[in-house]
Amino acid sequence: MNTLAWWLISAQFHSRRTATWLSMLAIALGVALGYAIHLINQAALADFARAMHRVQGEPDAVLAARDSAGSVPLAIVNQLAADPTVALVAPVIETRVRVAESLPAVRLIGVDLFSAGGLMPKLLPRPAEGATIADWLTGGVYVSPTVLARSDLRVGAPITLRRGDRLWTTRIAGDLPAMANEDLLLVADIAWVQEHFGPSDAVSEARILLEPDSAPAEWRRHTAQRLPAGLLLREADDDSARVSNLSRAYRVNLNVLALVALLTSAFLVFATQLTAVAQRSTHFAVLGVIGLSPRRRLLQILLEGLAIGFPGALLGLLMGYALAVAFTQLLGGDLGGGFFSGGVPLIRPTLTATLAFCFLGALTSVAGAIYPAYLNRRQPLAQALKIGFSPTPTGEAAHDHRRLKRLAALSLSAVALSHAPPLFELPLAGYAAIAVLLLIGIDAAPLLTHRLFSAGASLPLPATQRIALQNVAQAPLMAQVAASGLIVSFALTASMVIMVSSFRVAVDHWLDEVLPAPIYLRSKGTPLPPEVLSALRQADAPFVKVEGTAHGTLTLDPRRPDVGLIVREIDRQHPAQRLPLTGRLATPPDDRLPVVWISEALQEIYGIHPGQLLRLPLLGRDVELFVGGVWRDYSRQFGALVISRDDYQRLGGEFQANDLALWPRAGQEASAMTWLTAHTDRHGLRVSTVGEIRDLSLAIFDKSFAVTYALEAAAMLIGLFGLAVTLATSVWLRSREWATLGALGFDRRMLSRAVMLEGALIAVIGLLIGLACGVAIGAVLTHVVNPQAFHWRMPLIVPWSRLLVGAVLTLAAALLASRHAARQATRLPLAQILASGQ
Amino acid sequence: MLTVCGLTKRHANAHRAVFRSLELAVGAGEVVALVGESGIGKSTFLNCIAGLETADAGQILIGQPEKDIVTLDETARAALRAREIGFVFQAFHILPTLTVGQNIAVPLLLGRAPPATHPARIAELLEQVGLSGFAERWPATLSGGELQRVAIARALVHRPSLILADEPTGNLDPRTADEVMSLLLDQVRRQRAGALVVTHSRHVASRCDRMLTMAGDGLR
Ligand SMILES: Nc1ncnc2c1ncn2[C@@H]1O[C@H](COP(=O)(O)OP(=O)(O)OP(=O)(O)O)[C@@H](O)[C@H]1O
Ligand SMILES: [Mg+2]
Repeated sequence: MNTLAWWLISAQFHSRRTATWLSMLAIALGVALGYAIHLINQAALADFARAMHRVQGEPDAVLAARDSAGSVPLAIVNQLAADPTVALVAPVIETRVRVAESLPAVRLIGVDLFSAGGLMPKLLPRPAEGATIADWLTGGVYVSPTVLARSDLRVGAPITLRRGDRLWTTRIAGDLPAMANEDLLLVADIAWVQEHFGPSDAVSEARILLEPDSAPAEWRRHTAQRLPAGLLLREADDDSARVSNLSRAYRVNLNVLALVALLTSAFLVFATQLTAVAQRSTHFAVLGVIGLSPRRRLLQILLEGLAIGFPGALLGLLMGYALAVAFTQLLGGDLGGGFFSGGVPLIRPTLTATLAFCFLGALTSVAGAIYPAYLNRRQPLAQALKIGFSPTPTGEAAHDHRRLKRLAALSLSAVALSHAPPLFELPLAGYAAIAVLLLIGIDAAPLLTHRLFSAGASLPLPATQRIALQNVAQAPLMAQVAASGLIVSFALTASMVIMVSSFRVAVDHWLDEVLPAPIYLRSKGTPLPPEVLSALRQADAPFVKVEGTAHGTLTLDPRRPDVGLIVREIDRQHPAQRLPLTGRLATPPDDRLPVVWISEALQEIYGIHPGQLLRLPLLGRDVELFVGGVWRDYSRQFGALVISRDDYQRLGGEFQANDLALWPRAGQEASAMTWLTAHTDRHGLRVSTVGEIRDLSLAIFDKSFAVTYALEAAAMLIGLFGLAVTLATSVWLRSREWATLGALGFDRRMLSRAVMLEGALIAVIGLLIGLACGVAIGAVLTHVVNPQAFHWRMPLIVPWSRLLVGAVLTLAAALLASRHAARQATRLPLAQILASGQ
Repeated sequence: MLTVCGLTKRHANAHRAVFRSLELAVGAGEVVALVGESGIGKSTFLNCIAGLETADAGQILIGQPEKDIVTLDETARAALRAREIGFVFQAFHILPTLTVGQNIAVPLLLGRAPPATHPARIAELLEQVGLSGFAERWPATLSGGELQRVAIARALVHRPSLILADEPTGNLDPRTADEVMSLLLDQVRRQRAGALVVTHSRHVASRCDRMLTMAGDGLR
């Protein structure tokens, strides 16, 4: 660009340092949040995919049971091995065992050494020094480095594996060097695992490698048709794709929030650039007279936007990277969302994403400069020379009429959008409805300002107040600009507060319903030891009632995450005693027909309804069940179904409880706890009171929303910047007017009080509209976005007192901002203002 | 240098024309004073000539080869101003965020002179308006008379063929006004440009080559 453009930009940066820095910082903040969230999501997914591949290798197909309690019969594995297309079949048994008190249940994978070498190279063990292949075959387990690091187990030492009442004592024969951080697993020969834990005639899954010249997709389709119900033939890399689907809605939601922060910063650039343009409209006119073409004057303003946006975006990228690293250290890869278990993912920026965010930041800033550039372009040179900037008054009646029509049209479209179904399983229409609601708020601002304050200006008020009222009423454009940042940021913050507190109240209430017992005993994934169960059945056990639950999973659709299968001791006739049912209960037509109660997510994702019959791949076959009702579940986003223990056992299933709900005898609560702890301690099981579980659940809930709070805070800060900047400008633009008032006997204190009052009036308008929009957006988030994205339904609760406190705090901050503006405005000596042509 | 034929201007939503069928010719090196009562349309006339406002009828021929600024679009007008016109305002309008030297350089940057020649040209003009050594000063540190000299230097730096000045001495005391006026006349004649100076001062007008009075029925 040429010298003149550069001079003007640097002059601008020099003479309006604070405002320029603030806009740059706002862009940086927006870019940083978006970029950080992107980096974290990407790293977490990549990490997960790597972990999957590390364990799985790359087979052409995986044969597994749909039901987590099911297994693949060896007969079928042998049948497949005989298929001429199949090059190699590696049977795998996977189960969970406990090996040390310091560790949760770890995965035990039994593989066949000879076939595993080709298909699961990463699982290949490194025997201890001096060991031979015979050691592998004669037993002994190989452990991942993390297990060694997190327990006092050592290579060569004995180890005891337990699962329920089964024990296997052997020794650690070596480690698994290819297993990197956070994998808690053991590998042993499949025959030994079968002997000690597994069924002898079945395996968990079989990994299949086809002959090099075969067509895997075709073979899979063809072979799947011949498989018995309950078995599933899928691609190996499905899992990472499924995880990506699993957290997609959550990630999109966060990205939208981050974009909102960027949008708010566009408002700040807009306010700054409008100000910059307004202050210099005479300068631009002079440049026009000297011969700078209209196009170059327009470009100059856009270029100034770019000059703010580009360095801001660069700064934002740096800040975003730092934020991503800090957040993953603090909250883990899912930002507290609970989707990925495991360690801290490595943040690895990619060139395309980095360039994209840089571009987005610069674009946002340029976008903020477009309207000011347009306003400047529209004003005739001669007029600008004579009187400086004049935003056209918009308060005329004809204008109001048009605006009302536009507002009505916008409102209708917001209602229509919020009733639209999800697109690509994402609440895109819901997000659009939110954008429209924000537009309505901004568009309504001048109307409300004019209506509210022009009436007030004719009241018999003291001079200071009257002047402030008049100024706001007569410059609706400036008021709109000043208020818009505040409207957007307050609306979004209020809506998030509404959504989160509705959600929290709902979760709180839901926890009450799903946790009826005072004490819980949980063993993550492994069946409970029979000694404990039999001790509980003794007459001297201090409990009046004990109910067991077994958790498993079921693959209903191979492209989606598994759904939860919960077998419970529950009364078939009265499920409402244990399940938070929503809507009506359906009565099965036949008493012998097994009944399941499905979660809301299952109802929505798979379109299943109460009263209908459902075929499920249960226990290795296709079973027909009756859908008895729908219950609310906030913990399994991808759906779950509950079946009673009696029905499950009638179907031939074996009930092995992993969780127990316990009701102590009256007055014996403390001793019951001691009794239970004594019986479970040596099995490494955890006993929790209902209070502990509640607290933990709510803590996880709060953690998962920590990021949204950070985003809200950023938006509010940006909104306040915007108010301060615009207010300072509008005061500056009228400095002659102020000076004249000063000459007429207004003192500095009165002037600054008038400016502060003006700021307060604008802030009140912004907060009022922001609150109204916030409640509307909160309703959209609660009733549209949440159900569509996460299948979570809940009643809307508006925490008025908290919102009011927020509004008052914002108002106070706005007053401070206006005080700053007033100081700036009244700093110049009156004589100088009056003398200068401005 | 400047030929105006049959110029008529009526402001948007005003019911009568400001002026009708004005005729004027200004020759090279000639300085013409334009006087007339307040609100009669002098500034409007000047703005039409500079292409800041559009005349409703008539011709305004400027430069070599002659161009009719009335028929040009906004971009072409700006280009014509950059080449052929220097403007001096009553309120100085020196850009406060650029130094004195940078202010004077703006017309040069819009022209075709090689950038290497700019500093010498700026120094030459500063010397001619009696402000040698002011190039690095900020406008806020200059007096009104000094600012108007900077404005004159800025109007002349790119050797335009026509200088338009709207009450150039209106904000100055009589003695400074006299000095600034002498400077303007001096410079215009030296560059053999034509000039049209709007003024309320009979004294200023009397120092020009020719004086025209604007009245309801035209220029006399
Ligand atoms: N934008 C405009 N719209 C309508 N009328 C205008 C506009 N600008 C100027 N006028 C009117 O045109 C007439 C001429 O104005 P102009 O500024 O040219 O007067 P002038 O001769 O320069 O006066 P002065 O000596 O006071 O500067 C005035 O009556 C003024 O009210
Ligand atoms: Mg005038």
